[in-house]
Amino acid sequence: MDLELAAIVPLIPDLPFDELDRTRRTMADLIEGLPTDLTGTIVEDRIAPGDPDVPVRIFTPERRGTEPVPAVLDIHGGGFAIGTVALDDGSNADLVRETGFVVVSVGYRLAPEHPFPAPAQDCYTALRWLVDNADDLGVDPGRIAVLGDSSGGGLAATTVLLARDRGGPAVAMQVLIEPELDDRLDTPSMLAGAETVGWNNVQAVLSWRHYLGGAGADAYAAPARMADLAGLPPTYLTVNELDCLRDEGLEYARRLLAAGVSTELHCWPGAFHGFATLVPTAAISVRANATLHDALRRGLGAAARHDTDVFCSPNVHYRPDGVEHVPS
Amino acid sequence: MSPRDRIDPESRVPLDQLLETMPGGFNAIPDIVERRAAVTALFAALDVPENPRVGKEDRSVPGPDGAPDVPVRIYRPVDARADLPGIYYIHGGGMILGDIAGEDDTAAMICDEVNAVVVSVGYRLAPENPHPAPVEDCYAALGWMAANAAELGVDPTRLALYGGSAGGGLVLGTALLARDRGGPAVKFMMPIYPMIDDTNTTASSHEITDVGIWDRSGNIEAWAWYIGDGKPDQYAAPTRAEDLTGLPPAFIDVGTVDLFRDEDIAFAQRLMQAGIPTQLIINEGAYHGSERFAPEAALSRRIWAARLDALRRGLA
Repeated sequence: MDLELAAIVPLIPDLPFDELDRTRRTMADLIEGLPTDLTGTIVEDRIAPGDPDVPVRIFTPERRGTEPVPAVLDIHGGGFAIGTVALDDGSNADLVRETGFVVVSVGYRLAPEHPFPAPAQDCYTALRWLVDNADDLGVDPGRIAVLGDSSGGGLAATTVLLARDRGGPAVAMQVLIEPELDDRLDTPSMLAGAETVGWNNVQAVLSWRHYLGGAGADAYAAPARMADLAGLPPTYLTVNELDCLRDEGLEYARRLLAAGVSTELHCWPGAFHGFATLVPTAAISVRANATLHDALRRGLGAAARHDTDVFCSPNVHYRPDGVEHVPS
Repeated sequence: MSPRDRIDPESRVPLDQLLETMPGGFNAIPDIVERRAAVTALFAALDVPENPRVGKEDRSVPGPDGAPDVPVRIYRPVDARADLPGIYYIHGGGMILGDIAGEDDTAAMICDEVNAVVVSVGYRLAPENPHPAPVEDCYAALGWMAANAAELGVDPTRLALYGGSAGGGLVLGTALLARDRGGPAVKFMMPIYPMIDDTNTTASSHEITDVGIWDRSGNIEAWAWYIGDGKPDQYAAPTRAEDLTGLPPAFIDVGTVDLFRDEDIAFAQRLMQAGIPTQLIINEGAYHGSERFAPEAALSRRIWAARLDALRRGLA
């Protein structure tokens, strides 16, 4: 395991999925303790009208021009059952500062009180709202990414599948961070993941039980079951070496590529599930976040930054500190 | 949509230029001697200036038992003071093409950027010398490098293997030999878009048929030449290895428009399942060797930034 990440493992609280009331309180405390720097962003809570209404949290850059900017629909994680929109406050503000994009984060309903399809419907409602209100939000509706982390990654994959199969809205990019995609839980990494840090197969079993609510999984509940992945937008997908979700993420990336979907994949070595959220200051987290922001800028066609100007010819030096991706 | 349409536009420009002057790419030249000459001319035309910060020395070192000596080129930062990490460099070319000179600029760049002693090996090529000659040459010269670390100014505890394409396959074959024969300790390995599966059965091996750099027909031909009348064991085709435990930490990258894509993803996955620390990057829009053909493209710069960063950290 990465040494900086290993140092905090003893501090990660237990999040058992069989005692959700207590675990949600623990999660709220954990979110409270995460570094959250909102500098440079305007944060506003609104309601996306629907059946039912869906709360959304909007992050806008404080300083922006008059041109419409790309937007990211963010779907937080938490095993479908324990997260809140606040979990991503820090990463969303960071994303806005680094890219100048608008972020709309979805406060979807949680399982088991609201099993599938409720959480997925809420995410799709929020996506429609974002597109329908693009003008008002100063967003270019042709440059929208759907991003999710963990169970949010699964919901992001579902939302993008719904957009494909219901004829819209158009999504320019999907971003699946350490996604939870497969209820079958039979990959080698999942079978070996009884005690993996950050997420394990005991939590995974219960997470899917809560989310499916006793029903069988269809391909919109568990995108790994979707037979046809053709026609999905360009994809940025990450997995972590020491994550029980690793192999389902790799398999999804492999299948996207086989279906002709442009896909960039990063497997972060020595990393456990949730590392970039739990230890955002570790060097590997800084690299992971900078790589993500760079991919979003490339994928959504924002003005290029000049931080890759480190390689001109074989005789030109890279930055002497050897770190190419530190956000400035 | 053709796989060619998924290539990064900036990286496609030099590819299209190459295919204009050489329709079908160099693998369309049937005669292997003529094909090698064309590739040599191609890379000679790149005309990269010598790097004044890197000193070079050509040597001949003992080959495998009963086999000829193996040429190596040693790259050393001219201002090196203390012992440096060592990088053992294995060039590509489908086991049938390529030589030390063809990747001289890359080896020198890595020496300079990582501040390491690089030893590049001129192994024998198929079809004249099929498996196991290439991998045995690589193993023999690696043994020489490790045994002569002190003279080379190399810290023997910080030794990495680097190679692209066939060189990536040979990195893995050499690492497996080093593991199984109790050979030199390798701290880190970087098989880049490695050629490791002789079966040509993956989805991507069927998909990439007309990109023009390394396509299905050329890969089938190269494997036939490389294996010859022998058997494709794990040292020739590392995907055949049943046990990957005990290998060094790895970094693998491969492009989405590379026929080795799926065999490399699967291998990285198996390394991790065997408990080997592994970093994997799938570069969207990259074709086989695109960072070499289009070095100025932003995609190529990202590819090299990630590799050099990983090499520095892997050898720290």
